[in-house]
Amino acid sequence: MLGLLDRAPCGFVTFAGDGTVQDANATLLEMLGARREDVIGRPFEALLTISSRIFFQTHLLPLLKLQASVEELFLTMRRVEGADDVAMLANVSRREQDGVVVYDCVLMRLKERRKWEDDIVRAKRAAEEANRSNSALLSMMSHDLRTPIGSIAGYCDLLTMGVRGPMNDAQLGDVKRMKKASDYVLSLMDDVLSFARVRAGEVASFDMRTLDTDAVLARTEALMGPRMEQGGIQYQREECTPQVQVVADPDRLQQILLNLVTNAVKFTPRGGRIRISCRTTGARALVDVADTGPGIPTDQLERIFEPFVQVPGTSRADGGRQKGFGLGLAISRDLARRMNGDLTVASIPGSGSTFTVTLNSPAAEDAT
Amino acid sequence: MDKSVLSRNNVKVFGNGSQPMLFAHGFGCDQNMWRFITPAFADDYRIVLFDYVGSGKSDLRAYSEQRYSSLDGYAQDLLDVCYALELEDVIFVGHSVSSMVGVLASIREPALFARLILVGPSPRYINDPPYVGGFERRDIEELLDTMEKNYIGWANFLAPAIMQNPERPELATELTDGFCSTDPVMARRFAETTFFADNRADLSKVRVPSLILQCSDDIIAPTIVGEFVHRELAESTLHRMKATGHCPHMSHPAETIDAIKAYLSIAGIAGKTELAHQ
Repeated sequence: MLGLLDRAPCGFVTFAGDGTVQDANATLLEMLGARREDVIGRPFEALLTISSRIFFQTHLLPLLKLQASVEELFLTMRRVEGADDVAMLANVSRREQDGVVVYDCVLMRLKERRKWEDDIVRAKRAAEEANRSNSALLSMMSHDLRTPIGSIAGYCDLLTMGVRGPMNDAQLGDVKRMKKASDYVLSLMDDVLSFARVRAGEVASFDMRTLDTDAVLARTEALMGPRMEQGGIQYQREECTPQVQVVADPDRLQQILLNLVTNAVKFTPRGGRIRISCRTTGARALVDVADTGPGIPTDQLERIFEPFVQVPGTSRADGGRQKGFGLGLAISRDLARRMNGDLTVASIPGSGSTFTVTLNSPAAEDAT
Repeated sequence: MDKSVLSRNNVKVFGNGSQPMLFAHGFGCDQNMWRFITPAFADDYRIVLFDYVGSGKSDLRAYSEQRYSSLDGYAQDLLDVCYALELEDVIFVGHSVSSMVGVLASIREPALFARLILVGPSPRYINDPPYVGGFERRDIEELLDTMEKNYIGWANFLAPAIMQNPERPELATELTDGFCSTDPVMARRFAETTFFADNRADLSKVRVPSLILQCSDDIIAPTIVGEFVHRELAESTLHRMKATGHCPHMSHPAETIDAIKAYLSIAGIAGKTELAHQ
């Protein structure tokens, strides 16, 4: 058995509570090109490269003092001769030997896998960087475009109010159309800006409070009522009884619900129905926004939460032509998730869709 | 009292004394790292523990890349905790990078602090000849690599505390029970902020008396750095420990406790209880 441990195709090392190496097997010595006397009695961290020594001191050692074992560590060790280092996958566990704490460490050499992991880390960083610069670009563009469009809208208002003198009906009609178009572009810009901010992690402060779902829904309803009436849509809200409470930022929750109801209005044909209800399961509170629109094909259910994605030919507005950038659901899901919740959808093509906002109830939030 | 700071920074307060001892964790772990030290002071002091935003069980939603890209952002966390609890006459105990965070906070609010106890401080980790910090830039780049690879393989221990994984809700419970949990992106930023900082010029601005606990064979804060800090900090005491490594409060708690108690006792701060005031 001892011969097996000494020659097993992985390194074994035991070090004391103060880090002094007590024993190491032949395989490890071979991997490091070291003699037994180079290793025994020296600090374990002296076998590591500088970066791994920092990691050992800042991460591994504190963890080993707090919990009995640490698994799947990536460490690089130094070869005694030569500058090349040896990448290792390590597991460390604590045990008592004659009343004294010692640490046993198993080390497997990483060769091809290391290259592959290098690639993953590089790709991950490149993706993060690209995401950051995309968001920064979007944010800058939206801001720079928003300002002049805002002033176009402002001058339209001045003209409409007659500040620059009277206009005939045709002129007034044109200016109103200009104003409507610029308002629409502004709302698109707001979406992009909001999306870029959430993705860049800039929506830093969430003012998390305990909210009565009924009150939040009543506000949404007040804002959206006229649009539903105008679209000939029947609206139904079920009272949330017993009173359902959620922990959320009131403005962000409002933003999510407005988004969902706006979407429902957009996709529900005249004579259709939008129904809002709430329920609880365990420590979670759920708000459902259901419509009788065309529904979403099963293979598109997750895609609709991706930015800039819209399901073609399903909107009733403009004869199926899509309006907007398809950012609303991406923003809403991000916001819900950052409030410890989620946004999901269930749909039956041809019958309608139900979007569900899940949030923590006050009890769940206290427990975390 | 601003209660939101208390949950944001996962503040814990206990102990029987009135004078606050505020413990600030270093890079790589969280307030759990003080658990071998605080019991020795809980009878005589009011112990305050917290996690910086981005570490431990802090509220990751409060993280801002801009704020935490310099140690001033971390100093603001520390001061926010002081304000929220209306602390005065604070004995600050900071490990590693938190030593410099405490230094910065004390420069901004000298009246808040009675003493600074700095465990393994370094005002600059990167060599800048003739100054020796102990590291070259590429060592830190490699550390970032090592961290990232560990966050790939080590998700069970160090994945973000509020990881969004609705398909596996059991993960969340597992993580909140883990020690030193942190978000990989925030941890990387914290590493960069820590190891690329240069606070050498700030040391001479400190007016609060301090104790420097210097370990032997500390790769992260070598003795020569501890001596530099001692030279630059007015009214500082340098205590060389037998403890090796960078975390004497975890590896050699008894020696660390003795050193802090001896210093406070010489300074005439032996811990005042509420009763002693009456």
